[in-house]
Amino acid sequence: MTVRLSKAWLGLIFLAFLTLAGCSRTATSQPQTSPPSSSQPSAKAETAKPSPKDSTSLEQLREGQASSTESGPLKEIYFDYDKYDLRADARETLKANAGWLKSNASERVEIEGHCDERGTNEYNLALGAKRAQAAKDFLATLGIPAQRLSTISYGKELPVCRESTEECWQKNRRDRFVIMTGRPAS
Amino acid sequence: MMKLKIFLGAILGILTSLTSLNAQVKGLIVGPGAERYPIAVSPLKNLGQSDDTKKLSEGIADTIVRDLNLSGWFKVLDRSAYIENPQSTGITLGSFDFKDWSVIGAEGLVKGGFTLQGEELTAELRLFDVYQGKQILGKRYTASAKDFRRIAHRFADDIIFQFTGVQGVFNTRIAYVSTGSGRFKEIYVSHLDGSERLQVTNNRTINLSPSWAPDGRSILYTSYKDGNPSLYLFDLFAGKDSKFSSRGGLNLGGKWSPNGKFVAVTLERQGNTDIYLLDSGGSLVRRLTEYPGIDVSPTWSPDGQSLAFVSDRSGSPQIYIMEVDSGKTRRLTFSGSYNTSPDWSPKGDRIAYTSRVAGRFHIFTIPVQGGEPQDLTPGSGDNEDPSWSPDGRYLAFSSNRRGSYNIYIMQASGENQQRLTASGGDDKNPSWSPRLE
Repeated sequence: MTVRLSKAWLGLIFLAFLTLAGCSRTATSQPQTSPPSSSQPSAKAETAKPSPKDSTSLEQLREGQASSTESGPLKEIYFDYDKYDLRADARETLKANAGWLKSNASERVEIEGHCDERGTNEYNLALGAKRAQAAKDFLATLGIPAQRLSTISYGKELPVCRESTEECWQKNRRDRFVIMTGRPAS
Repeated sequence: MMKLKIFLGAILGILTSLTSLNAQVKGLIVGPGAERYPIAVSPLKNLGQSDDTKKLSEGIADTIVRDLNLSGWFKVLDRSAYIENPQSTGITLGSFDFKDWSVIGAEGLVKGGFTLQGEELTAELRLFDVYQGKQILGKRYTASAKDFRRIAHRFADDIIFQFTGVQGVFNTRIAYVSTGSGRFKEIYVSHLDGSERLQVTNNRTINLSPSWAPDGRSILYTSYKDGNPSLYLFDLFAGKDSKFSSRGGLNLGGKWSPNGKFVAVTLERQGNTDIYLLDSGGSLVRRLTEYPGIDVSPTWSPDGQSLAFVSDRSGSPQIYIMEVDSGKTRRLTFSGSYNTSPDWSPKGDRIAYTSRVAGRFHIFTIPVQGGEPQDLTPGSGDNEDPSWSPDGRYLAFSSNRRGSYNIYIMQASGENQQRLTASGGDDKNPSWSPRLE
């Protein structure tokens, strides 16, 4: 898909979303077509929208979708509060992700670093940058060339859920992997 | 965009004349913590032929009341207690009875009148000392009728000057981030009383960290509108938006040096954020921090010699101070394990910041030389992102104490906390403008 949509088109999509979701601010689940994996928070398949696994979190915002945890063949990794070092479970997930990247050697991936709602916006943006880079560095040690991986931090700006509970915060403290093949390189 | 230009043109064109009427300086000194000075603000008398009495008569008085209440120095007496009919009494000494005001407990009294000719509004405003039966201050202002609030703000500023020796800050504005328009985070600018709200960005993405140029003409902000979080400069007077720094990765929290020659900014290289110095055109001057962890959120000292910023080099986010020329750096905060978003007081003596206390976020200030931090928001909710007023006597901040985030202001002592915004969405990241004219 094209990255830049016309204003009118965005408006239509946004209106469509408002109609579907009723209230955009309180929506905490997101329309998806792919089945959620077992480790993912539950999500309801509701609409025939294109699979969000190919959309960045920013594109999902623009298109009126709630932020997604669905990342297709590449699974999300999770972090402890205010930390950017990789937990043992994150390293296991990254090894599996590296396996997929090796067997799909033409694919390029963007790693999104995210944080939970607690704390100030700027510090969380810096923290998200560290989280994304931590995954990139680890994948590099597993033999994935750095030029196939880009990073971006969204800090606490694009949470997947909005409750003030540890369960929700854990879902938000994540790296998400988006397949970028076919797009212009950044 | 046209609307924006017209709107902002009006800032330049305000108050075509400003005449002082036998102004007499009288030092009635009050201070924070002191008892508030009881004052009455009468609706203005219609001195002309126009019918439009209530909007201007009460609108100007209401705006002065709101400003005096926000200031924290005054106790404005409730209008329902006023005895006198402002339309049938005069506004000059001898043409009204001070007893009508002393009997309800007023020590100060604001009276005034206005004439409206076409769209031109002339307002005369006077401050009286009720006990001494004297006029303290008298001013005449002329402006377009739609700018009646600015006349009120100007007179409120003049009253504050009369009482404290420092001009008030009610002709300033606050820039902030709001989701008021839906799920997107857009930047808005409004008066302290929430009036004349202007939407600066409308790109339906994430816009963050607005900050004013020292001349108040432009705002630097970070936006994801082109995908990468880049720094943009929006010229409020020209209505023109331009890219300021779009290096790969974060271009975050740009802050103009007080002399307007440099911008301190957080840039990211391979996940590592550091503070950099850019020139006024956005070109790199030099890198200021070299630490491999997080360095973020610079704020200038008013003399432009130092920067405070946040670093996690000790293992948790803490505030540090660096001399810009020498690079000499010292740690400022030692209490708590999460201290972020510093803002250096224009007075130079203290730094305000956000600190985590028992899982919630509070606004603190701390002396620049170090010492005991002061908790200004020990009450409920999360309180974040303090921004000093240009006189260093107030702080704007965001708080979710009533559910969604709103912008509040308080005195530097923490007293008199009042909500400024209520967009229905989340209002965050306030940045207080310099004095504007």
